[in-house]
Amino acid sequence: MSKLFFSALMIVAVSTAYAQEKVSGSSERGYQSYMKYMCYTCHGTVGQGADRGTGPKLAPYPLPWGAFEQQTRLPRQDMPPYRKEFVSDQELADIYAYISSLKPGSEAKDLPLLNF
Amino acid sequence: MAKDAFDRRAFLKGAAASAAAVIGTQMAANSPAQAAETSSEGNEKPPSRDKIISRPGSDFMVDVIKATGIEYVASNPGSSFRSLQESIINYGGNKKPEFLTCMHEETSVSMAQGYAKAAGKPMGIMAHGTVGLQHAAMAVYNAWCDRVPVVMFAGNFLDAAKRRPGVEWYHCVQDPAALLRDFIKWDDQPLSLQHFAESMMRAYKIATTVPMGPVLITADGVIAEGPISDEKKLSIPKLTLSIPPQGDSGAVSEAAKMLVAAQNPVILADRACRSQEGMKHLVELAEALSAPVIDIGGRMNFPMNHYLCRSGDRRALVGQADVALLLEVADPWGQFNTVSDPHHEYRRLAKPDVKVIHISLGDTLTKSNYQDMQRFMPADLPITGDAQATLPALIEAVKKATQRGAFANRAAKLREDHGRMKDRARAAASVGWDASPCSTARMSAQLYDLIKKDKWCLAVSSVQWNRNLWPATEYHNFIGGSGGAGQGYGSGAAVGAALANRDKGILTVSIEGDGDLMYAPGALWTAAHHKIPFLMIVHNNRAYHQEVMHLQKMAALHNRRMDTAAIGTTIEKPNVDFAKLAQSMGVWAEGPISDPTAIGAAFSRALAVVKRGEPALVDVVSQGR
Repeated sequence: MSKLFFSALMIVAVSTAYAQEKVSGSSERGYQSYMKYMCYTCHGTVGQGADRGTGPKLAPYPLPWGAFEQQTRLPRQDMPPYRKEFVSDQELADIYAYISSLKPGSEAKDLPLLNF
Repeated sequence: MAKDAFDRRAFLKGAAASAAAVIGTQMAANSPAQAAETSSEGNEKPPSRDKIISRPGSDFMVDVIKATGIEYVASNPGSSFRSLQESIINYGGNKKPEFLTCMHEETSVSMAQGYAKAAGKPMGIMAHGTVGLQHAAMAVYNAWCDRVPVVMFAGNFLDAAKRRPGVEWYHCVQDPAALLRDFIKWDDQPLSLQHFAESMMRAYKIATTVPMGPVLITADGVIAEGPISDEKKLSIPKLTLSIPPQGDSGAVSEAAKMLVAAQNPVILADRACRSQEGMKHLVELAEALSAPVIDIGGRMNFPMNHYLCRSGDRRALVGQADVALLLEVADPWGQFNTVSDPHHEYRRLAKPDVKVIHISLGDTLTKSNYQDMQRFMPADLPITGDAQATLPALIEAVKKATQRGAFANRAAKLREDHGRMKDRARAAASVGWDASPCSTARMSAQLYDLIKKDKWCLAVSSVQWNRNLWPATEYHNFIGGSGGAGQGYGSGAAVGAALANRDKGILTVSIEGDGDLMYAPGALWTAAHHKIPFLMIVHNNRAYHQEVMHLQKMAALHNRRMDTAAIGTTIEKPNVDFAKLAQSMGVWAEGPISDPTAIGAAFSRALAVVKRGEPALVDVVSQGR
């Protein structure tokens, strides 16, 4: 628990230091950019994440914008950085708008196929 | 030489020369062989083209193969072993062994790999000594890395004077095994039938002695096609198999003391178990210690629904452990350490002073060139022995060193932790449940729902959900992966496993990556032709998705654009229609299906076909991973 708390604290601290003013984004354009940059390869087309730990879940309930921007521009662990020269601030804001637009689905307890 | 002996090559050579010299004369009468026979017996013989070899060497080879109990030989037909193939079919009755027609030698071997893991005994394969083994090589490497026995026969004509000109020379080689010797356990090129019999028994014994692995015997064409000269002098040695060795008893006692004294022991099992009995022993050991078990998955080692199964919590448990027991773990170093990608920075995952016990035969079967031995990691207590064979002694030693109820306080927490791990997996699986393309979690859960009442085997899977979610309890449920991570394994391995399971009443299913299937789709034809029932679900994500991230990592490292990663990694434009591909080879198929609500009904229809004894395929357009 203490490790988790420390990690969360670090993310907030670093992202606060890094965070830029957020550009307004469009979820429609964001979906196009999400597919163009093949974010879905590791995170799934609806941000659900992957089964081997290769891409964490992005949605629903995404990270705060600052932490999201930090992780995209200067990531922790093995994710490659998506720098401004190649993914603009506008595109990143659009991608964030897309994953923020994804609504939660049914919970596991309500899905019979997951309750055996 | 026996009376009916006939040197066919000498005949053809002589006949060709005679035809050029004496027009209008019977070619056969001018052949050296015919001339010799006519003069020795004083009577005119029928033309030599009518001569027969009623008891060729390959018949005896079949007798030897039958004596090993090998039931199947998978092969693409080849002239260098034509006599052996003919003897299997006509002399042996095409039964035990039965000739299985394959479209590629890689498939022959991957079938044999899947079969051996499901059947618990090896299958044979046949291939040309040159081009056939070259095709087979990657699959042989997979079997080697996976420690699976495969008995391979290579066709060859060692005697250059007997070879037909042209192709036969291309298909012959001085040393057929040289190509594979870095990743097979043993090979031989017998020069007589007695030599063949003895080497075959030796090969089978070596292949099935733990740690197991592929072996190669060259079936020389001259010996196979020629007559048996004196059968009374031939004998087939008795086949006796080695008993797996147990680890040293003193070392086992020491291991028990370390485990009993540990505050946070953890057990990691990889290719540890060979049977349900092995799983039973591992459960008994884990319960005696109240120690969580991480099943790495090289084989089915531990029931997934047992409260001590914690395969999804490896990093956390390894990080907390003060004593770790490794059971035939292929990559010990990788369990405790990691290297970041792409910067290659080292990071320790475990405590610096964790004590490691490793029961393994890994050091007894290692070679230098190919690096499947993984990074060196010294264990504090390395025990050379077979993990399954050593477990009973270790259990006894642990129980002897433990006071009754000593670890009872650990059990309650471990039950809660197991429940939390399962809840996390279910929660993760529920996200994106209604997505289209279909989520891999939903695809996996839907499949389980339809097979859970049967005895089932998931022979191959390109997704991991089944290991996190399915409450698998039987050794036959999972058979591990490819070993060497060589693409093209899945289709053949699933067909091979299904063949073994067909006779045991076990329903075989596979979740096959589209990229992997494109390497060796011909395995589907083999399944249809030989009526090998299994359901293949194509995890059709239309890409080599793992490679996308590699390309993006390199682009980031080189500070270049990130939107080009689809080039060379995707399988689109055109999309592959796997249902049509399967149908073209006589396999019942449906798809492509993108709607997640439609897959359940499609799986049901396909399973009805499989239960009738035929293969079926459903192409599911699905998420990347």
